[in-house]
Amino acid sequence: MPSWYEELIDEARLTALTLLDRAEDLTSPTLRLGITGLSRSGKTVFTTALIHALTRGGRLPVFRAMHEGRIAGATLEPQPDDNVPRFDYEGHLSALVDERRWPESTRRISELRLAIDYAPARGGRRALTLDIVDYPGEWLLDLPLLDRSYADFAADSLRLARDPARRDLAAPFLAALADTDPEAPADEALARRLAELFTDYLAACRAEAVAMSLLPPGRFLMPGDLEGSPALTFAPIDLSGDGDPPAGSLAAMMQRRYESYKDRIVRPFFRDHFARLDRQIVLIDVLAALNAGPAALSDLEAALDGILAAFRVGRNSWLGALFRHRIGRVLFAATKADHLHHTSHDPLEAILRRLVERALSRAEGAGAQIDVVALAAVRATREAQVRRGRVHLPAIVGVPEAGQYGADEFDGLAEAAVFPGDLPENPSALFDPSLGFKGLSDAQGGDFRFLRFRPPVVERNGEGQALPLPHIRLDRALEFLIGDRLR
Amino acid sequence: MTDRHNRRPQAFRLDDPGVVFADEGQPAPRGAVVVTPTPPIPDMAEEIALPPPPPRSSRWGVLFWTGLGGLVSLGLGLAVSKLVEDLFARADWLGYVGAGFAAAFVVACLGLLARETFGLMRLKTLNKLRERAALALEKDDRRVAEGVTKELITLSRGSPGLLRARTELASHLDAIIDGADLIRLTERHLMAPLDAEATRLVSNAAKRVSVVTAVSPRAAVDLVFVALTAVGLIRRLALLYGGRPGALGMVRLFRQVVAHLAVTGGMAAGDSLIQQVVGHGIAAKLSARLGEGVVNGLLTARLGLAAIEVTRPLPFAALPAPALSDVASGLITRETATGEMAVREALGEDAAGKARPGKRPSAG
Repeated sequence: MPSWYEELIDEARLTALTLLDRAEDLTSPTLRLGITGLSRSGKTVFTTALIHALTRGGRLPVFRAMHEGRIAGATLEPQPDDNVPRFDYEGHLSALVDERRWPESTRRISELRLAIDYAPARGGRRALTLDIVDYPGEWLLDLPLLDRSYADFAADSLRLARDPARRDLAAPFLAALADTDPEAPADEALARRLAELFTDYLAACRAEAVAMSLLPPGRFLMPGDLEGSPALTFAPIDLSGDGDPPAGSLAAMMQRRYESYKDRIVRPFFRDHFARLDRQIVLIDVLAALNAGPAALSDLEAALDGILAAFRVGRNSWLGALFRHRIGRVLFAATKADHLHHTSHDPLEAILRRLVERALSRAEGAGAQIDVVALAAVRATREAQVRRGRVHLPAIVGVPEAGQYGADEFDGLAEAAVFPGDLPENPSALFDPSLGFKGLSDAQGGDFRFLRFRPPVVERNGEGQALPLPHIRLDRALEFLIGDRLR
Repeated sequence: MTDRHNRRPQAFRLDDPGVVFADEGQPAPRGAVVVTPTPPIPDMAEEIALPPPPPRSSRWGVLFWTGLGGLVSLGLGLAVSKLVEDLFARADWLGYVGAGFAAAFVVACLGLLARETFGLMRLKTLNKLRERAALALEKDDRRVAEGVTKELITLSRGSPGLLRARTELASHLDAIIDGADLIRLTERHLMAPLDAEATRLVSNAAKRVSVVTAVSPRAAVDLVFVALTAVGLIRRLALLYGGRPGALGMVRLFRQVVAHLAVTGGMAAGDSLIQQVVGHGIAAKLSARLGEGVVNGLLTARLGLAAIEVTRPLPFAALPAPALSDVASGLITRETATGEMAVREALGEDAAGKARPGKRPSAG
């Protein structure tokens, strides 16, 4: 099937769905909030904290509707799609509050609907429905593949694998590839073996000291329900010359599987969950990349740029809004801001702004409202000053998790005061190769060390329910994302 | 990144014997690592230091007033001392009484002077506060915003009605909120009740002025009334927003208000101007007196709005500034009817036999 035909069908389907949504909006206004982020950026924690704050009435002074007492409450409602699992809010909350551990990484897509009962500023009473989707962040990496052919994908992937930063990790895969002849007849066992080695290499790139981000295809890392399916048994191989590979060859088989991966897996996911968003928050774990070093940071920049290009961003015109969804507001958030002292939040925001520079200007050009914020959906630390001799350090105090890279002294029980390093006032110092900072794997140790902390001890009320979770700027994020719809 | 050898990332276990807790400034064992937890709620008790009165803008003015004031007080002192001497010459007891009066006068003068100085300093503080709030809003500076919020909390101690808002605001200070957001939060907490009261004050003053103008027998009377109302209004607004203006403070405040009015009054948004013209036109057609009343009322309302902006310690950022229509709408719609009644009543008293005050004219 030619790809323009596919796109035409997709567009038609999207338009139909949009019209359906608009009709639904007439009876019950709905806002589709996209919570986007690569894996381990904190999507699940953010979603859990957001639901908890809205349903339990958290401390959200900057969120105006809540602060002015115009929100009567928020309730969890049955989600619109019956074939998608429900977001396990209760499970994640109990992991956070009772066991004091962060929720496990998301393995499959899930959904939740939240109805906010509020009074508009001019009086009356209304309900706003908030649809929230949680999914494995790895799958986001597939979005840039949508308009890439197999030849492009293979060339890019292999160029990355041969990059000095990753060459060692990719050695087994590259060795196997060197013995492979792309023109040889297709061989299922060989394809399976190459795919396995490729997957191992991608998984190795995620280690804490490397922390690479640009690792497509995403389903290789988090297959969901598709483990072992033929659509996942392909790998990039060196193609000789131009034109299609000869029929029946290994290269032709790889190409066919890549195309079906795109059409059967990536496109429906994009269509069902991303193309119809109204608001979007992009969560980015800048600190992990800073931990790992300049290579990880530039990798994160490239990954974000590719992903963000896939979103439809821009102001809705009144006629266009009937037929097409556009994302009107985008918030870029550097998560885990509680892992550094609040005096470092401004530099962190500056770094984030620099990271998503291209996406920012693109979205602004399209007329969407953009903001950048450093936030922590659940604040796990408190602040302190540390004095050692004559050196004063702004530090944070919390319980570091056990078993972190190069931090064996922490058992996950003892508290520690941590000074993670000074973020530069000017973010370009981090991106300049000649000034490059040192990562965790450097022999002299890194310039930054952001430890992971366990969730905080949460106070409870008389009935044993958790009181509002502490946070940093969750209220500001909410005000920006949905505040205007609650006026 | 090379000049920071002593600021490498580091971590200290709190159960390590070499790590001690201590407050800022307290002695600690040598060689130990001292951890000072940041207090969750900053200490509210610290008294704000009022800045000294600023130098006058014009040196010649300073010289003029110093010279004149010195001469007048010397003359006065001379006259008083002469008077007391004369009194002593006439009779001892008269001299003592005169000296007592002179002492009381001096003490009262010192007291008044102290109050005026305090009033002027408070005025300056409020102006500074507004500038700093504007800066914090613009730069999104958390430190400045925190200072402004704390100062405002201290200043608002005088208004018992704000206790709840104050406590709630203080409890938000330990959360991490950005500078601009903190200023907006403070404004919503502390200013919203005051704004409502201020709008009511201005609106009432405007109504009063328009009614009195409409019924006053002579132009001179309503001129005096308008002036008195304006001064009273500015004074009450200043008191409401935490200022303590004395006589000198009032003079300065009045100048500020008039200057502000001169800048903004002519450029007020189109709608209110049209409203003013239309309101005047219709009212003038009904009665010349009534028209004058509406115009004077609008003038007072405008003055009141300028006074709000000048006396309010925070700029309008999160809350909408009261518009002319908020304070003067009563003048043109409902209050015009009352004014008309008042006019009829006034006329009724002149020409006996018409409708009596307080009764509706019967149909036919």
